[in-house]
Amino acid sequence: MAPMEKVEQTKLRILREVVRDNIEGVHRIKAKAPARRNFFFPLWLWATFLIPGVAYLSVPTHGISTGNHSLPNSAGVESTARPLPSTPEQPSEDDVLRGMPRPLNRAVVPLAIKRVIIDPGHGGIQHGAISDSGVSEKEITLDIALRLRRLMEKSPFEVLMTRQSDQTLLLGKRVAFANENRADVFVSIHVNWMEPREIRPLETYYVGPSDDPAIVKLATSENRDSGYSMADYRRLLEKTYLDARRHESHLLAKTVNTTLFQSLNTVNPELENRGVKMAPFVVLLGTQMPAILVEVSALSNEEEVNLLTNGDYREKIALALYNGIHAYAKNLNGAARKGS
Amino acid sequence: MEESNETLSVGIDLGTSRSSISASNGERHVIDSYVGWPVDIVARKLVKKSVLVGRDALDNRSMLELRRPLERGVIKEGSEKDEEAVQELLRHLISLIGIKQKSKNRPKVRAVVGVPAEAFRISKQRLRRAMDGIADSVMLVSEPFAVAYGLEALLHTLIIDIGAGTADFCVMQGRYPTEQDQRTLPNAGDSIDEQLAKLIREHHPDAQFSIHMIREWKEKWSFVGEPKAQVLVTVPAKGKAAELDITNEMRTACESILPPVCETMIDLLTRVEPEYQEKVRNNVIVSGGSSLIAGLPDALEKALSELGGGRVTVVKDPIFAGSDGGLAIARDATSSDWEKLSL
Repeated sequence: MAPMEKVEQTKLRILREVVRDNIEGVHRIKAKAPARRNFFFPLWLWATFLIPGVAYLSVPTHGISTGNHSLPNSAGVESTARPLPSTPEQPSEDDVLRGMPRPLNRAVVPLAIKRVIIDPGHGGIQHGAISDSGVSEKEITLDIALRLRRLMEKSPFEVLMTRQSDQTLLLGKRVAFANENRADVFVSIHVNWMEPREIRPLETYYVGPSDDPAIVKLATSENRDSGYSMADYRRLLEKTYLDARRHESHLLAKTVNTTLFQSLNTVNPELENRGVKMAPFVVLLGTQMPAILVEVSALSNEEEVNLLTNGDYREKIALALYNGIHAYAKNLNGAARKGS
Repeated sequence: MEESNETLSVGIDLGTSRSSISASNGERHVIDSYVGWPVDIVARKLVKKSVLVGRDALDNRSMLELRRPLERGVIKEGSEKDEEAVQELLRHLISLIGIKQKSKNRPKVRAVVGVPAEAFRISKQRLRRAMDGIADSVMLVSEPFAVAYGLEALLHTLIIDIGAGTADFCVMQGRYPTEQDQRTLPNAGDSIDEQLAKLIREHHPDAQFSIHMIREWKEKWSFVGEPKAQVLVTVPAKGKAAELDITNEMRTACESILPPVCETMIDLLTRVEPEYQEKVRNNVIVSGGSSLIAGLPDALEKALSELGGGRVTVVKDPIFAGSDGGLAIARDATSSDWEKLSL
């Protein structure tokens, strides 16, 4: 222990900081809202490989598919209004020619969802989006994830979480955790921040290329703390589209997004269903199982913030996520039984 | 520091399971964090009070709408009744130190309240609101920090405060801990209770018990590592009294918190500047109700051996370490500080 004088000085200095922190708490510091995260890499450096990477993926080549031909627009947005298909969509002849991987025939390959990884976005020094009133994305995502885990623990699923507390976790570590644990499904929970602030969006992503500047920007932002080198990232991009799991990710995304919207819309009629989209997020690229990233709301809209700070609403989100995952698993398991 | 007859400093550790208060008039109390309202007029007549708090509430629970209003160390969300219950709890704590809310000569109450290291801002705001009308000025600090301050363990120390709702970690490096210096885990006393109940139910399906019985058993006999004696409890099974040996269940349940606690401890230690890591490793202090689990310091020291060894000690007074630390902060703050923090 330091000499008495030094302890007293330290106490005094710390006390000043405690008081300052509390005064800030009382007056609720206005957050540095849109500044979502600290950069590990400068933005230009990300842009140099992310944008060409996405562009590269958007170019049809043999062996590397441009993805699903049913894409309705350049943003990769798909309507979730239509009923969920109970059987895999059949690839068109064009798809086959372009080398698109065929969806798994569930009747031939018996599948079951046993282990689910829940990934609460951000954490620790990575706050994610921050609302004007100071609510941070990392807090909300963790809370929803813990609620989701509680719900899932009562079901036959085995549930693992990439983080259970407010810890900093590189995206690469999240990916490694999911892969090492041989998960069947990966669900990453996020909260968006977007302009114009009137938007109250719900959207779900699965892995794929996108030339929508807004999505590229979002992916750049979400991928910022990935811990991947450029070479790693390029390797991931090149590998992904040879991977049949994308089809399953798409189905999972559609099921979860539909369930979420139907459930939340009853208490939040202003919620805008922005549907299922493709984007090259690192957690979706690197994981080896059906994986989705759900942006459950936006902290840029204060009414959404009010809802998100209500435990009942977060419980509703968790329950809808649970129901979505469960519906996807049931569909998959049902198809497997038919085939057996 | 600046105390008069007109002011009273208090430190409050508002815990999920127990709450304690330490005041500058020398009073110290601990209560169970339960609040109950009589369910009907008959119950009201029997208990003779409109609201019961602490052990009183627990003992009369069959006649009450019983609330345990704190969850993971903060007010449960989405329930006005729980907010009301926390206010009753706080009012009761303040009354225990001799403060009558409606008295004309009531001194100004300056309160420091401990919250989990990573409590939501929104949860803190809710707590501040709950304190309105009960204290005149309020400061919220992280629970492990309050413990560190009270012990003057401000440099090269890791505090692990394991309560019922959360396990809170805080590395003290001679400065007010930032978010990087702190962690909160949901794996604490309550998760041990849940695990213990689940295991007993699995192994002794006929045994009848309540969560309150589980908590009492845990408080008496919790341990990790080798047991000092068999853990034998008597419970009704199909209506008859039966003696159960729950030694293994107790060990498994208590040890369930070790992996996340050890992992978090090691993670925080490896983030300390390299030249100070050994000092911090040799100065790990455990507090909170769950620090009383027998064998816990040894288990943590075993985990530290992976990093080259370390020393873990349990605070002398785990129940009051948080509230005493809060009181020390409250006393050291100046009147001008408190004015800025008035409600």
